Amino acid sequence: MAVFEATGIHKRFGSSVVLEKIDLQFETGQISGIMGPNGAGKTTCFNVLTGRYKPDRGRIRFEDADITGLSPQQIAHRGISRSFQIMNLFDDSAVIENIMIALPQFYGDRKNIFRSAFDNEKLVGGAMAVLEQVGLSPKAWEPSKSLSYGDRRALEIGVALAANPRILFLDEPTQGLGANATLKLSNLINELRERYTIVIIEHDMNFLFDLADKISVIHWGQVIAEGSPFELRTNKWVQRSALGEVA
Amino acid sequence: MIQLLPHIFNGLTLGLLFALIALGFTLIVGVMEVINLAHGSLFALGAYFALTLIGVDPIADTAVGRWWLDQAIEIRYLTALVFAPLLAGLVGMILEICLRPTYGKAPLYGLLLTFGAALVIEEAIRVVWGSGEQYLQIPPAINGATIFLGTIFSKYKFFAAAFSALAVIGVWLFLEKTKYGAIIKAGAHDSEMVRALGYDLTKLRLFVFGFGAALAGLAGIIMVPIWGLRPHVGIDVVIPAFLIIALGGVGSFEGAIVASLLVGLAVGITGAYASAWSMMSMYILLILVLGFRARGLFGKASALEN
Amino acid sequence: MITLSDISPQSRNRVNPQLLTAAVLIFSAPVWLPAIGLYQYIGLEIAIWIIYAMGFNLLFGYTGLHSFGHGAYLGVGAYAFGLFQHNIAVNLLGGLLAAVAAAAIAGFLVALFLSHRRGLYYALLTIAFGQVFWFSAIKLRWLTGGEDGLLNIPRPPIELPGLSIDLNDNVTLYYLVAVILLAALFLLWRLDHSPFGRVLQAIRQNEMRTRFAGYDVWRFKVSAFTISAMFAGLAGGLFAMAQQSAYPDVMAVHQSGLIVMMVLVGGGLVNFWGPVYGVIIYYIARDFLGGITETWLLWYGLMFVIMVMYRPEGVAGMLHMVKGRFVKPSKLKQLGV
Repeated sequence: MAVFEATGIHKRFGSSVVLEKIDLQFETGQISGIMGPNGAGKTTCFNVLTGRYKPDRGRIRFEDADITGLSPQQIAHRGISRSFQIMNLFDDSAVIENIMIALPQFYGDRKNIFRSAFDNEKLVGGAMAVLEQVGLSPKAWEPSKSLSYGDRRALEIGVALAANPRILFLDEPTQGLGANATLKLSNLINELRERYTIVIIEHDMNFLFDLADKISVIHWGQVIAEGSPFELRTNKWVQRSALGEVA
Repeated sequence: MIQLLPHIFNGLTLGLLFALIALGFTLIVGVMEVINLAHGSLFALGAYFALTLIGVDPIADTAVGRWWLDQAIEIRYLTALVFAPLLAGLVGMILEICLRPTYGKAPLYGLLLTFGAALVIEEAIRVVWGSGEQYLQIPPAINGATIFLGTIFSKYKFFAAAFSALAVIGVWLFLEKTKYGAIIKAGAHDSEMVRALGYDLTKLRLFVFGFGAALAGLAGIIMVPIWGLRPHVGIDVVIPAFLIIALGGVGSFEGAIVASLLVGLAVGITGAYASAWSMMSMYILLILVLGFRARGLFGKASALEN
Repeated sequence: MITLSDISPQSRNRVNPQLLTAAVLIFSAPVWLPAIGLYQYIGLEIAIWIIYAMGFNLLFGYTGLHSFGHGAYLGVGAYAFGLFQHNIAVNLLGGLLAAVAAAAIAGFLVALFLSHRRGLYYALLTIAFGQVFWFSAIKLRWLTGGEDGLLNIPRPPIELPGLSIDLNDNVTLYYLVAVILLAALFLLWRLDHSPFGRVLQAIRQNEMRTRFAGYDVWRFKVSAFTISAMFAGLAGGLFAMAQQSAYPDVMAVHQSGLIVMMVLVGGGLVNFWGPVYGVIIYYIARDFLGGITETWLLWYGLMFVIMVMYRPEGVAGMLHMVKGRFVKPSKLKQLGV
């Protein structure tokens, strides 16, 4: 049974229906991809799954518990972590601080009003370990606003990883990246696949076809096709839709 | 109920006056997303300019001064009513130029800058016109009292309310029915469109700020015969204007008008039962409304929330 | 532009040299104040206002919540202190605790209303609540004494076992305030750099991200407001002692605006010590400029306007840049200055 399951998700903004009826399942240990043309409702779907918007209808289950309509922080506590398409870093802070604040140990220490956060070796060490994973440890003490675009992407993923999630949602991770940076990112995600269940929203299909175990295609607010990258390459629906030229 | 009628009438009149005060404020907030805390000071400044234009204090003893003072009060008053707001508008334009470095930064900086400007203008008024209470002369035709609904009302209040209503309608027509109004409404939200229409955004902002300041000045001239003229009348006035905008919803013209009337009614009716607390009612009204409706009565999402 | 995290270093040393310097300066003030042409009472006032401004900056600079009605909590503290002395007991500790508690309750209740709001609407509601407190202080004559305020508030002595220290002398009172100020500075320094303080700074930078990192932002906003109201209340209690009265004027929107100006001019947006500079500059300007010209507030206002236009990082930011220019140009480049 799928670890994360959304059934019959319906979402409208005012009079415009963005998600008609979405059903999705993500399996433990796999990389699942969501793709679709611009305006198909990918990002809205993502925001509903991660708790930023509440769905108008439908249920979302994670690890046998109903998480429909929970607040972002409650969803985060269940072990669901996400990155953002428009990079959402703490720009005033050093790179390491961005990671630190997302650590579960830091959360456990959040009511501590007296001991300096940087005096705590566990916090610093934990943050450095995450930075190691995303290849940013040499830049730990730099202000995050001085990072290159690709490094900011990596940091964005690092912040999501820091929460030690059981499932990781990545929103358009290749957005705005050049070919080199995309390759680096692809390698990074490949390294992460052993430890995490990952869901990626992406419009760069080659990127997804290389990485994902299973891909769901969203169009007109519905899942119009689903399957392994191989199956999708041969699917008529996908070929006929705007995505076809890649297959 | 019958006893309440004069208070309701009083409240609606007050509401119209509030609407006049809020007019320039809402225009600047809506178009430029700047909270102009100096609005009240421009209001005061307009009234002080009118004071000088009517009484010509500095040159009262010269030949020109004596000639001017010999003219009928109606002529002098009308002259002030036209030119004093224009002068306030000029000051507003200077303020807009000072604001330019804050564009593109957090809205906090615009707020802080205009707060500082309010302080500066108020102190400048003290230097030029002194700290005492002053009286703005008005033509006898709109002075005196009249009986209405069995209560004595000042004629001037009628005039002020009618003038406010006309000003509100005039500005509304300007915004809705003219080409310039359409451009102003597109304003800061759609700078692309403004450019596409061949207008310079810099000039548009300058003009809108000047226009908003002139409306503030105009409101000042109309209001001070009722509220009195002192240097800190600006602060007394900007807070209600501020509340009205928040109550109506930032950027909504209709919201500001409805909110003005609501605030006027609240103040008027509270005045009937607990006159000492009448001004407090508007704060309570705001807290209640914003407690349940985050963006006021008619508000839309705005960059000012960040 | 410079920001808070650029200047406030990721300090690891427990005994902070800046705090030590501050301690030396604070405790020696009664010695050197007359030497530079000032009088003892101004030291008292500055020390009290620094407590207020530092607590305020936890909310304004660190959490990024722009309160424009903070004078209310200073006033509540002052009234609570006075009412305690008049109606309950002439007692120093009791009075100060009452001041802090009253401000905490007032701040907490207001924060419950405020904390779902952001940006402009937040600022607006703080003004509205500030006005409600100010108006109540004027109108509830039986409680607050109306526009005149509470008069003849005593300065209760410090009661220690076998020792009673009279505080009617301004210098003695100054030493009491100095001890409290130093404790407040130390507490706030630790608070700002603690995990709790880091979460507050995260909220300033990116409220949504903080939420997705699992933090209940609303609670943190309520806490920050309440804590900062408590410091205002403490300052209010001390101010009531210094003035031997409590009056509504400190709650007016004008006064609440002045504290914002002080914090910004000093550089509270970029540095822990910013509010300290800001308060000192304001009082020195008031006394020196005020001695020369009646219109000193005009010049102070002009300086403020120019600062918002060109140097919103305030005095602390400018000091930092001057220092950077002489010390480490490479570090400066890194900061994008």
